[in-house]
Parts: sequence; structure tokens; C-alpha cells
Amino acid sequence: MGLSHMFSRGAVLGLVTLLAACSTYTPPGPEPVPAEKPPEHTVVTPPAKVPEVPHRPTTPSASAAWQPLLAKAEQATAQGDYEQALALLERAQRIDPDSAEIYLSMARTYQARGDGAQASATAERGLLYCTTDAQCNALRAYTR
Amino acid sequence: MIRTSHLLLKLALVTLVVGGLFVVYLDARITATFSDKMWELPAKVYARPLELFVGLALAPEDLAYELEVLGYRTVITPRSPGEVSRNRDLFDIYARGFEFPGERESARRVLIEFSGGRIKALSAGGRGIDLMRLDPVRIGGIYPQHGEDRDLVRLDEVPNTLRLGLMAVEDRDFYQHWGFSIVGIARAAFSNLRSGKVVAGGSTITQQLVKNYYLTSERTIVRKLTEVLMAVLLDLHYEKDQILESYINEVYLGQEGPHSVHGFALAAQHYFGQPLEQLGLHQQALLIGMVKGPSLYNPERNPQRALERRKVVLDVMAEQGVISPEQAKVAQAMPLGLNNQRQFRDSFPAFLDLVRRQLRRDYREEDLTTKGLSIFTSFDPIVQRQLEISTTAVMDQLDPGDKLQSASVVTRFDTGEVAALVGGRKARFAGFNRALDARRPAGSLLKPAIYLVALERPRQYSLATVLSDTPLTIKEPGAQPWQPQNYDKQSHGDVLLYQALAHSYNLASARLGMQLGLDAIVDMLARLGVEEGVPRVPALLLGAGEYTPMDMAAMYQSIAAGGFRMPLRSIRDIVDANSEPLKRYPLEYDRTASLQSVHLLHFAMRAVVREGTGRGVYRYLPESFAVAGKTGTTNDGRDSWFAGFSGDLLAVSWIGRDDNGTTGLTGGSGALKVWAHFMARASKQPLAYRMPDGVQPHWIDDRSGYLTGEGCPNARMLPFIIGSEPRQRTDCAPGESGPGSGVKDWFESLFGGDG
Repeated sequence: MGLSHMFSRGAVLGLVTLLAACSTYTPPGPEPVPAEKPPEHTVVTPPAKVPEVPHRPTTPSASAAWQPLLAKAEQATAQGDYEQALALLERAQRIDPDSAEIYLSMARTYQARGDGAQASATAERGLLYCTTDAQCNALRAYTR
Repeated sequence: MIRTSHLLLKLALVTLVVGGLFVVYLDARITATFSDKMWELPAKVYARPLELFVGLALAPEDLAYELEVLGYRTVITPRSPGEVSRNRDLFDIYARGFEFPGERESARRVLIEFSGGRIKALSAGGRGIDLMRLDPVRIGGIYPQHGEDRDLVRLDEVPNTLRLGLMAVEDRDFYQHWGFSIVGIARAAFSNLRSGKVVAGGSTITQQLVKNYYLTSERTIVRKLTEVLMAVLLDLHYEKDQILESYINEVYLGQEGPHSVHGFALAAQHYFGQPLEQLGLHQQALLIGMVKGPSLYNPERNPQRALERRKVVLDVMAEQGVISPEQAKVAQAMPLGLNNQRQFRDSFPAFLDLVRRQLRRDYREEDLTTKGLSIFTSFDPIVQRQLEISTTAVMDQLDPGDKLQSASVVTRFDTGEVAALVGGRKARFAGFNRALDARRPAGSLLKPAIYLVALERPRQYSLATVLSDTPLTIKEPGAQPWQPQNYDKQSHGDVLLYQALAHSYNLASARLGMQLGLDAIVDMLARLGVEEGVPRVPALLLGAGEYTPMDMAAMYQSIAAGGFRMPLRSIRDIVDANSEPLKRYPLEYDRTASLQSVHLLHFAMRAVVREGTGRGVYRYLPESFAVAGKTGTTNDGRDSWFAGFSGDLLAVSWIGRDDNGTTGLTGGSGALKVWAHFMARASKQPLAYRMPDGVQPHWIDDRSGYLTGEGCPNARMLPFIIGSEPRQRTDCAPGESGPGSGVKDWFESLFGGDG
């Protein structure tokens, strides 16, 4: 029931990511929901559904957009200007909220500022997004 | 005889002393306040700047809308800042640039190319750009009580023709007189006499300024004398250029809704949608002419009169040698050149209301209205537009008679920022802000708090725990016995925990809540960010209390963010009039619920929209687009709620009546529709499945809640906090597949598998 081949490609991909410590995989769409019959007349005149948005969790280009911000934030941290560093990192995070790298930078900055609680909370959230062991371990180090 | 003259002398002396004191008083008043008056500036409130980079998910239409709100002019070839040309998916924008807190974005011409709803290329002068920001939309101001708005300019930023023209028309001897001009009065009287009507006033620019700053508009001889005295004093104390600059920034030039338009710079924005420096001669002349009667010569209401007045001004300017007769002729042939675009300023009253409340916690009213602060918010005009469109579309369909009201809050839950807010069906009009002020019971919207308390006790509860959905009576001392009922008035016997939430079974939820204890539920609500209006009574389990849509947004924000409580923010930065950063509102996390438990709750909330009371969302959303949510309905359908989130946005919608009457709607037949209509169009990212450490999926028989094997009857996979999986096993379990081998099926059976 409900098994279908079209998901297998996604499932293989899912297998790979799930085996990594933290999964960032979006599960494929499920089967259609048992429809309520007869379908209520749709509230809004058609098309009630919008075309599907192709989603790519983190595009390489998005990282190209925020990498310079991270570099600037590092400079600011080096100069002890943590406020400026965090402002830059928050801007980076708004651009790409699902980047573990940005979470890691934030955790580092909080730690440098002496705010262990925020560092730990930030890293813990970042753990949801990490994709490599190195990244996950680096984040885990801040959660202890 | 001697007595009388003695008396007269005394009288004269007294008059002199009183008059002298009066002059001293006026002098003190002027010197004490004039400099301050010059700088009395309302705070400006800005939307978030639109960040542009390759790969950004953005519809070309949305960029076009953003530019329209920003007042960019569509031209063939952009040559100056604020101009744009568009050819389908290709935008050629001369970005204005902006002084952001801490960093300047310079004006430059950029090319943006779209493909498939994303930015495909972004460049300036042939070179690729990694990241840039458009200037932020100014969405309003924080005005003093009398509602004045202002945009300050320096005298050297004022076009010469405007400055000279202004003097030619209003005060020719400005640089010569002492603040008051006999010649001017005589000239005015003469020209009025000659033309048989009042064409010129005799007041100098200095007098007009004094009148605006310090005096009422009554016409008495004492007031006129005071005006003259003060004008002379002002002239004595300050440079002519300072006075002229103040005048140019102060003069009243019309009304924009409740706010008066003061100063030429703001008037240029208001009437033409352009900065003062960029105005053409014909536009300058119109503004100069309007000084005399801003409503009489209002070009929007009285275009003919405005044109005539403009001609008079141009003639005077030519006659006085400010411009050549040819220039005057050309300018006279021009149309009024008004801004045809919609006015956006202050058309987002609900969000501004939120910003003001946050500001008033941290600032004095006086600082907000006079210090010229710039306030940068998280407001997103594109998301706001969609929220308004969805609200109107759905509400007009549900309730053409206009009896029902609706309010919604949208946040970006990753950062806890409020992106959009609708406080009522007429979103563009200020009024009762239901998103912040409508206090209502929340119905089943509170249930996730109960289930989260349970899931935080993995030794006792899991998603597969069997709950009993059977009638119960709760007796509290000193209260009526409480007998909750299901919406369908049925009981459903044994159900698994996640199913009880998915179908919003009241009996199972009330039983569970009583087992856990009301204190634990009240505590969980507080941990999720709902601390006010929570009554410690059994009916709380089904949503009793008083909650605003904003309260519910705070609660669901914590859930969406994985158990991290973040204060909902509407303000990012505040900078002072010199662009110095004043305050930053940083992102702050507070871990208040276990990540693993919240993860399980997410699963149950996904089940709500896949197989439970929230299924209706997929009449709007594509099947593959994962979201999680919860419906809420209160007694007799007085309130219809829906709260939920996708991968990028969280939204809470409410429908109800201001008189608290019944709506005839459930959460699923009402608010859900606003929510789903909005999400289908505004959300760019489905909810991803991210399993945290310490969670493992297992095959479960979804009738009994026992462990079972892949392919067994009623088998489906559920996530468990490690160690919390059921002990009992069905007979059909030869090889219960471990978390590794079953992964493929895990994804397939996540939802809908055999549902």
C-alpha cells in the first residue's frame, strides 16, 4: 500500500543523508490524501493551486551570496566588535536560514563574546542543518 | 492737567516696561526653541530591504511590485537613480542606494535576469554581483500628536531655481529686510489693488515661519504685532540662510491622510514621487505656488486652478530674472507631472502599530517623534501583499455580507521576525487591530502544548501510546462538572496519540491533559511563550482563555523553531539622525522544550494536514509541499483558527465576529482557507524532514500501537525517542526492520502510506 517506484530515487538520496548524522533531506511527496467527497466548492476561483515551486534547500549560489558576509563577520570578531559580527551573521542567516556553517559562525561569535548559553542554543539549532561529520562535530562541541 | 499728564507718563512707562518684558520673553522663547524646532523630526520606519542574489526564489512580478512600492519610475533606459526598465524576465534597474546601519549600498545600475521563479543572473557594468540590497521601502513614521511629517533638506540641496523662485514670489527683499518689510506690504497692497483681488500677502518669509512655529492662525492685531516682533528678533539672532532653510523645511504644503505635509522635500515625494533635487521647473513652480493655498491649489483636487497658479509663478520667475522667458514658456506647456502611483506610506497600519508598541517599551514618545530616528523593521511588502490578497479573496467568498472579521500574523520562524500582519478585512485602514488586540479562546490550537508535555516524558508516552477517546466527567471543587464532547459528538475508543492530535479528538486530549496535570500544561504554554490569559481550569485543555493571534504566533513560533523560544521581533535596528547605530534587536534563542519531543510533535502536526482535520490545505497546496499545522474551533464556531508552518514561513489566521457571535465555521472550513491560500502563494520552501540525534523510526501497527514488521497489516513508520518505542510486538514481525534497512520505506510510509 502506498509503495511506489517514483519515490525510489528520492529514497536513495534520503538513505544517504539519513546515514549521515544529521539529515537535511526533504521527504518526497506522499500519496494523495483520501479526498473529501464531494469536494467542497473551492473557496477561491481557480486556479486554487499554484504551480509547484522547485525547491533546492541550499543552492551553491546562495552560499556565494553570504560567504563575503561571513568573512566580514570574522574580521569584526577578530577586532572584538561582536555586535557588528552578529549583525552581519544575522543578515547572512536571513539570506540562507538553513546553513549549518552560518550557525557555526554564530555559535563561535557568541562563545568569543563570552555568552556560552547562546552559543550552545545556536549550535544545537545548527545541528539540524549540518551535512558533514566535521560540521556536525564542530557544532556538537558547542552544545556541551 | 498735571495729574493727567502724570498719569499718561505712568501709563507710558508701564507699557514700556511690559512691552520690554514681552520682548525679552519672546526673545527667550525664540532662542530657546528655534534650533530644536529645526530638528524636530518624526522617526522614519522602513521595511526590510530586498536582498538580491543569484538563486533567490522570487517571482519577477514580486520584484516589479517592490519597485512600484519604492516609487521607481518605468523608463526606456534608466539614466538616474530610481528608474527601471523591464523586458519580461529582464530588469534594468538604476538602484538608488541607501545608507544602511553600518554599511552603505551605493547607487548603481544593475541587470537582473529571472528564470523559473529565481534570479538567474545579477550584474553591474558587466560584472557579476554576489549580493546587494535595494533601498528599503519607507512604510511610515512615528508622528507627534499633531501629526506632522517632514523630510529634511539642507539649503545647498535645494535647486537654485526653487530657492530664487520662492523668494521672487513670497519675499523679494528677503536678504535685505529685518524680518519684516514695509516695502513688501506696500507692494502687496499695490498689486492686490491693481488686480482687484488678493494675489500677494505682505508677510515676509520670516513672519510666515514665526507664524507656523509659534502662533495660532487667528487674525488679531496683538497676534500680528507679536508676529512682527518675533520676526525681527529671529532675524536678529539667526542667519538669513538658516531662516530660509527652516522655512523650506517647515512650510505647510497639504495633507496626506491624517498627516500634514510640511516642507518642500516631503511635498516633492508626496505630489511627484521624486526627490526635491530631481524636480523639473514646472514641478518646482507648482510647489512654490501652493505655499499660498495648499488646498486651494491642490493639483489633485483642483488641477485647473493649480495650472493657473503655476503660470502666475512662472511669469513672476521670468519677470524677476530667475529663469528666462523661454524656460517659463516650456515649463508652462508641461503637464502637472503628478505622481500617479499609489500612496504606500502608512498604508500598513497593523504592522506600524506593532512597531510602535515595541518602540514605546524602549523609547520616550518625544524621542520617537522629534529625534529623526530611522527604524529598520522586518516588514516584507511582498508577503504582506499576498496576505492581504488571500484574506480578501477567501473572506469575500466565505462571507460576502461582510459580517466576519479576520486577522493573520506571518513570521519567518528561523529568525523570529514578523514579516506581515493583517488586523482586519480592510487591511489598509487603521482601526481595531485584531492581530494584536482580539482576545479569544483558542480552541484546539492549544492542544499541541498538551501533547508536547506528554512527548517530553518518553518513558511514559510516545506517538504510538494508546489513548482512550471515551466520555469523561471532571469534577473540580466549587465548579460545575465538566463534560467535554467531540466535535462529531462521537467517541472513537482506543486511538494512538498522534491520531488523537491529527483528528483533534477532544475526549482523548482532555483525558491526556488531566493525566499530565493542568500545572504541566500551563507551564508548557509559558515555555512556548503564552503567559497571559491562561486560566488554570480543565477547560484550558480545549482552549479556554484569551489569546490574540499574536500570542498564538509566539506559541507556534517556538514549536516551528524546534522548541526554541524567541521573542517575536518586528524591529532589527534603530539609527539616529546622523546614521549612528543606536540599538540593535538581536536574535536570541532560549531552549524551552526538548528538540526531540518537538520533532515528534511536528510529525503529529504533519499528520493533521495529511490525514486529520487540516487536510483541506492540500486543496490549495501541491501534494508534495510538506507543511505542519493545527486547526482550532471554539464553542458554536465563534472562532475559526489555523496555525502552521512550511519550511520558511509560519502563519496564524483567525476568523470571527467582533460581537463574538457564531461564524458557522470550523478551523478547517474557515481560517484554514486563508492560511492555505496564502501559503500556496507566499511560501518558497516546504517543510524539510530533519531528524535530530536521538530519534529513530520504527514500524508500528497503527491500530494497536505495537511494534510490527515491514509489510505487515496496518504497518506504518513512526519516529521515536530512542528507548521509547513500544515493547509489545504483533505476531506479524518476523524481522522488524531496523532503522537502517527500513529507511526507504520510512520515507514512503511517512504519510499517506496506508493512512
